[in-house]
Amino acid sequence: MARGRTTFDGCNLAMAAEILKYAEALFETMEGALDNSDRTFIIGQGADDHKGIFGTTVGLAEKYGANRVMDTPLAEEAITGISVGAALNGMYPIMTHIRADFMLLATNQIINLIAKYRYMFGGHYKVPLLIRAVVGRSWGQGAQHTQSLQSLFSHIPGLTVLMPADSSVILSAYPYIIHSYKAPVISFEHRLLYELEFEIDRQEILSTDNPLGSRLKCVGDDITIVATSIMVLESERAAAYLKDAGIECDVIDLNCISNLDTDMIIESVRKTGRLLIADTSWKAFGVSAEICRLVCETSPDILKSPVVTLGMAAAPCPTAKTLEDLYYPDLYDLCDAICKLVTGSGKHGIDLPEKKPMTDTYKHFRGPF
Amino acid sequence: MTGDDLYTKLFRQALLIRRAEERIIELYPFDKIQSPVHLSIGQEAVAVGVCGALKPTDWIFGTYRSHALYLAKGGDLNLMFAELFGKVTGISEGKAGSMHLSFPEAGMMGSSAVVASSIPHAVGAAFAAKHKNTDQVNVAFFGDGALEEGVAHESLNFASLHQVPTIFVCEDNGLAAHSFVQARQAFDRLALLDSYNIPTQRINEGWDFEKIHKVMSVLVKEIREGSGPRYLEIKTMRAREHVGPGEDFDIGYRSRDDFDKWCIQDALVHDVETLSEVEGKIKEAIDAAVAFAEESPWPGEEQLLTDVI
Repeated sequence: MARGRTTFDGCNLAMAAEILKYAEALFETMEGALDNSDRTFIIGQGADDHKGIFGTTVGLAEKYGANRVMDTPLAEEAITGISVGAALNGMYPIMTHIRADFMLLATNQIINLIAKYRYMFGGHYKVPLLIRAVVGRSWGQGAQHTQSLQSLFSHIPGLTVLMPADSSVILSAYPYIIHSYKAPVISFEHRLLYELEFEIDRQEILSTDNPLGSRLKCVGDDITIVATSIMVLESERAAAYLKDAGIECDVIDLNCISNLDTDMIIESVRKTGRLLIADTSWKAFGVSAEICRLVCETSPDILKSPVVTLGMAAAPCPTAKTLEDLYYPDLYDLCDAICKLVTGSGKHGIDLPEKKPMTDTYKHFRGPF
Repeated sequence: MTGDDLYTKLFRQALLIRRAEERIIELYPFDKIQSPVHLSIGQEAVAVGVCGALKPTDWIFGTYRSHALYLAKGGDLNLMFAELFGKVTGISEGKAGSMHLSFPEAGMMGSSAVVASSIPHAVGAAFAAKHKNTDQVNVAFFGDGALEEGVAHESLNFASLHQVPTIFVCEDNGLAAHSFVQARQAFDRLALLDSYNIPTQRINEGWDFEKIHKVMSVLVKEIREGSGPRYLEIKTMRAREHVGPGEDFDIGYRSRDDFDKWCIQDALVHDVETLSEVEGKIKEAIDAAVAFAEESPWPGEEQLLTDVI
């Protein structure tokens, strides 16, 4: 019997069997990982405190011990290197960064060592580990708490970069990464997603073939939207909204940025002839640029119109609310861009949703932190 | 050869390293070895003294000056020369070269060309050893310059804070490339270590592999009995230029006199009796390794994209 509430799951409004917040899914996988093997440990700033990485590790230090869920000195590079050594010696480290920006202090270990440890020594070693990095947005977090650095790390051979867009991905990808993947993974978790409720289907999660694979979230013939992280949710909302106007969207969640499904993208664009890329980061040299490269290199003739990209404005993130609202695209911008691309006209005449920033939509989220 | 006393055993290992590197110098002008070489000539006693006190199941993490560590820890000579030659039979299929030697079977767990970056790896491996309740010893090798890097301090702090049983071995050749320590460090290294509550030892006779072995053996025993981290600093002498096969006394930044004085102490120079006893076998081994490297095939397309993820 169906239990639970009516929830928004993007393309459909449905009675959901189970609802799970993104943060709850994270907690479940963290607890599961610790429970599954005593070689797994979590280390990060505040991992053992009362806030526990936004609720995703709360109480786990008490349950599994202080040597399994550890606070850390403010020493991102050493902690990352220590995790390398521990991984070589049979442990599974899960590192947390409450802001992805702090992980930049560990880029030497991540790029010069972790990404290369297997290849550089001719395949003698594996360094299985998971780095969880939280991307901030809104509430004036500014230039150093909001960077979405997926393309920077996806650029480096040897790294696997994930951007889980909902609770289902967390529940399927994290256990797979932790128990079976045997390679280093960086996962960018979007802070705005943490308090959002998602419909999940545990049977479906268990039967996922490739937990890191790109996912076709909505199906339509008019346009292909390739999206990352919270922009997947926004794209699904846009697709749902524009249904009434007769616009049907394919929405692809890239999911694993570094191992994205080129065939899925090309096949979709071949069908729709139109491509819009909605990424959480800057457009230049990033995911948008990479998707364009893939299309241009494999099938440049399948596009009926020039590609459209949406992302953060080409500046460090400002703090004033008015500037933040200009800095990030919102649902209005996304729908407008879709309508322009599909109709081929700037004056498409289609009713657009109210101009309202994404953060005002996700009311659950308020500072301070 | 069995029944060697400790002196002869360590002497033989140190001489193997020196002769192997002298062969690298001979070969270098012929471009057989197309890889930047950072030679350990003059510093061999550090590697053999420290590694001689370890078991194959103990791990070391090293630097780009890695030939001596590799050989002292028990790395295979043929596989090393093949690696330097860039052959597919090399220890890492020609993907490591001179700066990233490793030999997991004997506990040489990697070497990094970014100064100080392998220090936390030894701490992490020791952290795991402690968690698993084994008596494995993990050693971080680094030069004196590495202690200028932030990650070295972060690692020392963590190791002391959590009493992680790591042995930090500082090879103090007094030089970072061509800069003397006075131009680089405003702090006193041993005082710094004291402030981290990590017990220190300093050996000024860096040529004396027996002494190094003896001191290291005590530290190893302490670690196996459950102690926290230890720091061992050994004054040593880099005979060659920072990178490359040549000498660089003619540049003028350091004098040959200091080196000559050092050589007087160096058993590999003055103990001609032991030299003559072990030299022949070492030459044979090196000849064979070079021949193996020469005859081995190159890596190709098949290797290019393997072991990336």
